Amino acid sequence: MQQSSTSQCQNNRHELDNLEAPSSVKARSALQALTSAALVLPGLLMSSGHAAGTDRINFQYSRYQEGERNLFGVPQSLKPITADVLYGSGNFSLTDRTKFSFGYTQDTWSGATPIAISPLVANGNRPILSNTESGVVIVGASPIINSQILLDRELNPIRRDPQSGQLSGTDSRSVMVMSSASPETRRQANFGLSHEWNEAAINIGGGFSRERDYKSSYGNIGGRLDFNQKLTTVKFGGGYTHSDIGAILDHDASPYITKTAFSQQIISRGGSEILQGNRQDWAANVGLTQVLTKSALIDANIGYTHSSGFMENPYKVVSVIFIDPTALNTNQTTPIAGDLRALIEQRPDIRNQVAINTKYIQHISAFDAALHLGYRLSVDDWGINTHTFDASWVQPLGNDWTVTPRIRYYSQDAASFYRPYLFSQQTYRRNEFDSLGRQIWVDVNNPNIQYFRDSNFNLFDQSGNLVNEAFLNIQPKITSFDAGKLPDNFSSDHRLAGFGALSGGVVLSKILGKGVALEAGFEYYTRASSMQLGSGGGNSFADFDYYVANAALKLDMESTNPSLPTGNSSHTHQDSIRHYQHQFPPAGVMFGHMLNKPGDFMVGYRFMLGRSDGSMMHGAHKVSDQTVVDQGCSEAIPCRFTPAYMNMRMHMLDIMYAPTKWLNVMLMPTFMDMDMNLRRLAGAPPAAPGVHEHRGIAGHETGAVSDTYISSLIKLIDIPGHRVHMNLGLSAPTGKVDIELRRIAQVDGGLIHFGMQLGSGTWDFLPSLTYLGGRSRWSWGAQLSGVKRMEEKNKSGYRLGDIFQATTWGGFDLTRWLAASVRGAYTIQGAIHRDFDSFNAHIGPMDFPANYGGQFWDIGLGLNAVIPSGRFAGNRFGFEWIQPLRNDFNGFQLDRKGALSATWSYQF
Amino acid sequence: MLALITPLIKKNRYAFIKLILALSMVLSGCVNIAPWERGNLAKPQMELDPHPLQSELQSHNYSSREAAPSHKSSSGGGGCGCY
Repeated sequence: MQQSSTSQCQNNRHELDNLEAPSSVKARSALQALTSAALVLPGLLMSSGHAAGTDRINFQYSRYQEGERNLFGVPQSLKPITADVLYGSGNFSLTDRTKFSFGYTQDTWSGATPIAISPLVANGNRPILSNTESGVVIVGASPIINSQILLDRELNPIRRDPQSGQLSGTDSRSVMVMSSASPETRRQANFGLSHEWNEAAINIGGGFSRERDYKSSYGNIGGRLDFNQKLTTVKFGGGYTHSDIGAILDHDASPYITKTAFSQQIISRGGSEILQGNRQDWAANVGLTQVLTKSALIDANIGYTHSSGFMENPYKVVSVIFIDPTALNTNQTTPIAGDLRALIEQRPDIRNQVAINTKYIQHISAFDAALHLGYRLSVDDWGINTHTFDASWVQPLGNDWTVTPRIRYYSQDAASFYRPYLFSQQTYRRNEFDSLGRQIWVDVNNPNIQYFRDSNFNLFDQSGNLVNEAFLNIQPKITSFDAGKLPDNFSSDHRLAGFGALSGGVVLSKILGKGVALEAGFEYYTRASSMQLGSGGGNSFADFDYYVANAALKLDMESTNPSLPTGNSSHTHQDSIRHYQHQFPPAGVMFGHMLNKPGDFMVGYRFMLGRSDGSMMHGAHKVSDQTVVDQGCSEAIPCRFTPAYMNMRMHMLDIMYAPTKWLNVMLMPTFMDMDMNLRRLAGAPPAAPGVHEHRGIAGHETGAVSDTYISSLIKLIDIPGHRVHMNLGLSAPTGKVDIELRRIAQVDGGLIHFGMQLGSGTWDFLPSLTYLGGRSRWSWGAQLSGVKRMEEKNKSGYRLGDIFQATTWGGFDLTRWLAASVRGAYTIQGAIHRDFDSFNAHIGPMDFPANYGGQFWDIGLGLNAVIPSGRFAGNRFGFEWIQPLRNDFNGFQLDRKGALSATWSYQF
Repeated sequence: MLALITPLIKKNRYAFIKLILALSMVLSGCVNIAPWERGNLAKPQMELDPHPLQSELQSHNYSSREAAPSHKSSSGGGGCGCY
């Protein structure tokens, strides 16, 4: 009803427009044609960066998977890099001409990343050996970034057999030294506002990105002007980004890294060394889109970026091979010793980049397809010139399918300061001698006074007096290398090397009808130094490949009609809305709502945040650290660590469809991310050798796809004021249960704590029974639900406890669109059965199966809102805060601090 | 090359914008496509970016693996991409 009146308004407006046209029939028909053409051309000539287009909501999940790097025969035990990315965005009209857009991205990555490049003979990726039943096997690689190597007189590395010590000729190959990382999560939120005029638009936007070691905030402004009946468009934009870097240096690697160039920027906090810096990026671009013919257009723009500040990658080091110049200057032919050290890379503080983009789009009438051809050139003052060529073919097929194959070639030159590794003809560190050839000793607390020793190791001052060193801290006087003899800038980040890359992929999209579209994409990317334009490469040790697969759900809200009840003779519109509201339980209740009409769809998003914090609990009582140490783990292994806090966030997509009035089917992919920090328990015993030791201030993070729910809801009773339905659901084990902590100093991190794994790992049965009632402004309901694990154990060897929950609530309509609710819930969950069947460090109570589950009594306070009319009609929001009243934990657990549930749904 | 281009653009920033505007005038002068002839241009496959979700993702991956400025550099966006 609301819809039809809106379109009526639009029709009236068009008629008014037409009335204002000249009275000549010919002119009037031309104007009509123009108006109608303008209506079918809403988004034409507008870049996607503008918050334009129809009102829509998008969800996308993608997975990035890198292939293994070439380690020249060292077995790969480190998993290659993977990244799981969750993306959601929305675009809403505030008025006919003003739109608001927002986006949220979350990515969690883990895997092996190169930290340095070194000559292969340095054995940077040292195999880790392990005794097994079948003998000694290589279980992995440990990064070695400091070592001694031999060089010939031309400074070519010489290979030496590790067993016999025999030299076997030069070996000039290089290799990337790999280090593994525990999972880390980045979150980014952005928003935008745009306003349209008939032949112009302006937009502003901003956002921020947060990860543990890197925080950015940014803002931008842009606009466009249309000329010549929209055949020509000029676009312009500018942006500013400020980033703060606080890189926590790897606790294990740090003693082997030379950081003198950054000593002013490194602070120490909580046992961790943090390298701090900040950078600014200014960007501006101007562009032009021109329609060339009835079926071709061209787009060109030029962009300039000026960056300043800390542009290093704080985790990348450069291998510098120090050579004693006296060894070089002799006329010998014997090999020279090279002292290989790792220095944090040093990049220039300023970077200017210019990029020119061109794109040509041609409609191919024979296939009704579009050919997109692009070329991009960028140059910068680091010496990196790049060329990108890409082509795609957008082919609509029948039945609303579109397939788009795409190919891309990219080539870049190396940065002027890129080196796989460096030589420096000086000693890294040497003892000082005076002019008489005597070694100089100094007091650490007073380094300006020099001392000497005689052949009996007695200490003398400069006047030759014997000195009592009992009260002094005497050390040899050492001089470090002269940084002035090194280049100002050096990096061996393979992204600054010269290389070429070829990638190809395909995008498949399908409009399901009712404004719902699905999109899936796949891309394979291969990088090879030999593919660099105009160069033979020479960096083939850095070659790698990756693939990205993604799936997206797009909801176009303008082509959907919200399935809101309309008023009829027996009900007023208000009553209908109220009845509609009464069909929704509080936000924290799952599987509590059913669609009424066959053919109805519902798309929803559900967010849950749970926090544990505060005291350690045993049963219902607080316990001291000493009790946790003594009793929280096992008799053989006392606890050493305990959680300081933990946050769990769950993102769920609800897709619901009603094939019949009494049956609904539901698919819920979920995405989960967690972070936890540990603290050392007071009174904890010292670390056992070979066991994962938690050090520093960094916590642990995990995040990726969690389990997927598939459900069928069956309506049992539906009489005025009372509804009962049953849910029979399955949970598919799509979440990982074998996430590992990184290996540190040849000590396996092992599987991360049970509570940080992302799924149950088992097929689970989820039954529930829901009752909903309502009368005038009051509503009420109850639900019994359970989770029954249907397998004995998951692939890591354990099984989560079963869950049973009983909950009941009452609600009151504050207004016709807003209702408040109070809910009570009782939950009982069993402890974990069995245990990990592979290594877990067992450092605290969270690593023991008995310390999971319990009985919980919670109260929930909620609000439910539905937008009854207007352009957002049919959007429904729910919030509920769940406050624990009483907890009775199994074993020893961190206290629960409450949970938030938020839902959005749209039914059509 | 940049040494050539950057000062050129810096010095002649306004001239450059004028050039683009002039170019657009000239180009637009050559073209005259009546609204009812724009059927093909209005098709979704002819949009400048027919798959914005895909291009955003691709751009993010390329910028974490390549040294060229991000396609979205003017709209900002953060992240270390330190891996």
